[in-house]
Amino acid sequence: MVSSKYIYYLFLVNALMNIINFVPRVLIFTRFQGTLPSIFISTAIGALLLYGFTKGIAGFKGQGLPEIFNANLPRFFSFFLLIMYACFWFSAGIITMLSFVDITVRYISPDISPYAVIIGFLLLSAICCRLSSESILYGLETILFLSTPVIIYMLVKAFLNPNFSWDAVLQIVTYMWTKPKYVTVAGATFIFSGFFNLAIFNRNFKELKTRYLWTIPLFGLVILLITFVVPIGYQGTVGVENHVYSWFSTADSIRMELFIIERVLFLFYTIYLMISMLSTVVHWHVGLELFKGAFQSKSGKLPGKKADWWVLIPFSIATIVIMNFLNQVRLGQIGQWFLNIRLINEFVLLAILFYAKKRSAKKT
Amino acid sequence: MGKKQGEQGAAWLSEKMSGQVDFEQRSLGSSDEIGLQYLSSLTNSDMINRYIVIPSYEMESLQAFENYIASFPGTVQAGERQQIIEFVLKGFVLISIGKSGYLFNAVKVESSGVGEAVNEAIVQGPRDAFSENIELNINLIRRRYQSETLKIDMLTVGKVSRTSVAILYDDERVDRQVLKEMKKRIENVKIDILQSAGELEKYISPERVRIFPTMIVTERPDRVVFNIAEGKVAVLINSNGFAILAPSIFSDFFTAMDDKIQVPMVGWFLKTIRYIGLLLTLTLPSLYVTFASYNPEILKIQISLLIAGSRAAVPYPSFMEVFLMLLMMEFLTEASLRLPKAIGPTATTVGGLILGQAATQAGLVSNIMIILVSAVAISNFIIPISMMGYTIRVIKYIMTLFAITFGLLGVVGSVVGLIMYLSGIRSFGRPYMKMYALEIKSKGGQ
Repeated sequence: MVSSKYIYYLFLVNALMNIINFVPRVLIFTRFQGTLPSIFISTAIGALLLYGFTKGIAGFKGQGLPEIFNANLPRFFSFFLLIMYACFWFSAGIITMLSFVDITVRYISPDISPYAVIIGFLLLSAICCRLSSESILYGLETILFLSTPVIIYMLVKAFLNPNFSWDAVLQIVTYMWTKPKYVTVAGATFIFSGFFNLAIFNRNFKELKTRYLWTIPLFGLVILLITFVVPIGYQGTVGVENHVYSWFSTADSIRMELFIIERVLFLFYTIYLMISMLSTVVHWHVGLELFKGAFQSKSGKLPGKKADWWVLIPFSIATIVIMNFLNQVRLGQIGQWFLNIRLINEFVLLAILFYAKKRSAKKT
Repeated sequence: MGKKQGEQGAAWLSEKMSGQVDFEQRSLGSSDEIGLQYLSSLTNSDMINRYIVIPSYEMESLQAFENYIASFPGTVQAGERQQIIEFVLKGFVLISIGKSGYLFNAVKVESSGVGEAVNEAIVQGPRDAFSENIELNINLIRRRYQSETLKIDMLTVGKVSRTSVAILYDDERVDRQVLKEMKKRIENVKIDILQSAGELEKYISPERVRIFPTMIVTERPDRVVFNIAEGKVAVLINSNGFAILAPSIFSDFFTAMDDKIQVPMVGWFLKTIRYIGLLLTLTLPSLYVTFASYNPEILKIQISLLIAGSRAAVPYPSFMEVFLMLLMMEFLTEASLRLPKAIGPTATTVGGLILGQAATQAGLVSNIMIILVSAVAISNFIIPISMMGYTIRVIKYIMTLFAITFGLLGVVGSVVGLIMYLSGIRSFGRPYMKMYALEIKSKGGQ
């Protein structure tokens, strides 16, 4: 059993790594067609989902999604749903991994084979996601503790730079009253979906204390605005669209004049490598547990530890195969599809959860 | 007033101390009218014999004996219950004569045998280390922990050696689960000979490949006392001057007893220094490989040129250089450890001068590499508990291997992997790596 502060870490890790998962790309792509209103709308939607989901799952104390579904829904239905959501969570991890491989090969080590990079990534995620949920939460805490100060330092450095163009930012604000687009809203709500990991991690909370839950939408809004504004401040309102990974290009424009590492890019890469590895581990862990939950026996027994590899090895092979077929454009498109489907999927999950809650209330 | 309480005190004391293995009760006199109660580990049995037992049979009357006892310097009339238990725990003997009670000073003074702590040296603070005698070691702890809640359980381990093992804990603060688990594990140890705490630690650890110690083996009584007060379980072994402390988590291995003595700010500083040292000793070799062979562009151009220039004469890749020098450093450390004191300095001279100076001039290793290796070695020695130091020494090689295969990705990946691995370890059910300080602050939210 762990204290409730870990919910916020689950949120934070997702919110921080949105930069890897093509969120800034869609925000910048539609910057003249309603990104700003979308950010505010998605904060509202995110807050709605957040309250709905935590309220819904708090009713099932110490239970994960598999236990809730298997107990309250028809067996066939719950099996199908759990497998679907497991694949969904696995693909979230896979997209993070693939885009990070792309970033590594592009910015850091052009001479390392992408296969070596992805195998390293897969080994780490596959081994670490088999740890107990509690252990993963502790690891999460430690790594966030180490990386947040550096992120804050980099942000301060970014904003204090005299070459940061506030005019470009002000100009983009003039596009406030444009009609928002679904893709942008879908992309922006991604940063709130960290707490959906409670689907499994709820098992470890004795009681969900959600006194400071209101800070999450607030933080989310700030993070979204930063995600959107900083690349524009550095690369201008028009030039910004020339970059695929606009945040990495932005980090590369900042210098630390007095440090032994001069380009902020490398610091940025290191920290984001840590966070995205962690996020992959969290996603894969949830995916794995959901998958195993689908095969829960009638007596409530879950498959043993050895069964993990029957799930992890196929998904790892699938990752390598998918990487083989993807170039940068396709990867970006898939990332965008994922974000689009994700938002609908989250509403579906919420609806099923409330249905299950009603059923369980009727039973007792 | 003292009379009545003396009699009641004796009965109360025997009830309170029941279950303490070293608590002894004796009755003297022709019709058992004199009662003695004391802790055998703290008292001098010779004194009790000579000044209490023998005279009690020689005295003509009970009154005369009472006067005789009362005349000793240091003897006090038994008063409050709390006073009785305090004095008995100091090594006094409670003598009840008829209805009155006296506390007789028979404290065992063990000046010989208690040496200074060598492995965990300290600047200020207590210097005693455990001796090789379990009675004396219990004495050392009792002297520092004068509370009736300190309980001692005795067990025997080893079919042939019959080594006595003492489990010490504070009855009120201990985690029952850990205590039960510890007893079960020690009882399950099936070996012939047990001679050291390290050995026992190995046998009672859960069976699997492990690299991080989950129990502290210490030679300092003050550390044991401090940990018992925190609710941990200590295990003492006869004929070995070390104690085992469990459960021990990651941050415990980075606590020196100095931290308590220093000014708070200085204590914090020292702790931070240790973690920085840990980070350096772990990552410096692997970062060197990364910067020299994979990503020289990460560093500032001047530094990259400096490294490249210093490596100009070196005829093999950077990882060979790193492994060569790290191994040499390990040999040097091991050699100076095992060598007799008289030859010891030779190793340092040979290692320091020849390996350091001559190797760079010959162009076998770069100058920067020498500096780096010494920095790695020194920052490794900062870790206060040597068991953890050894572990870190091994981990460093694993990280270097990852750096060789994956470059910067390998370094960062192995740091993440290490943190996740540490988070997965449990020491007697307690998470090994958890941000302890932050947990206290947010206790209200739990």
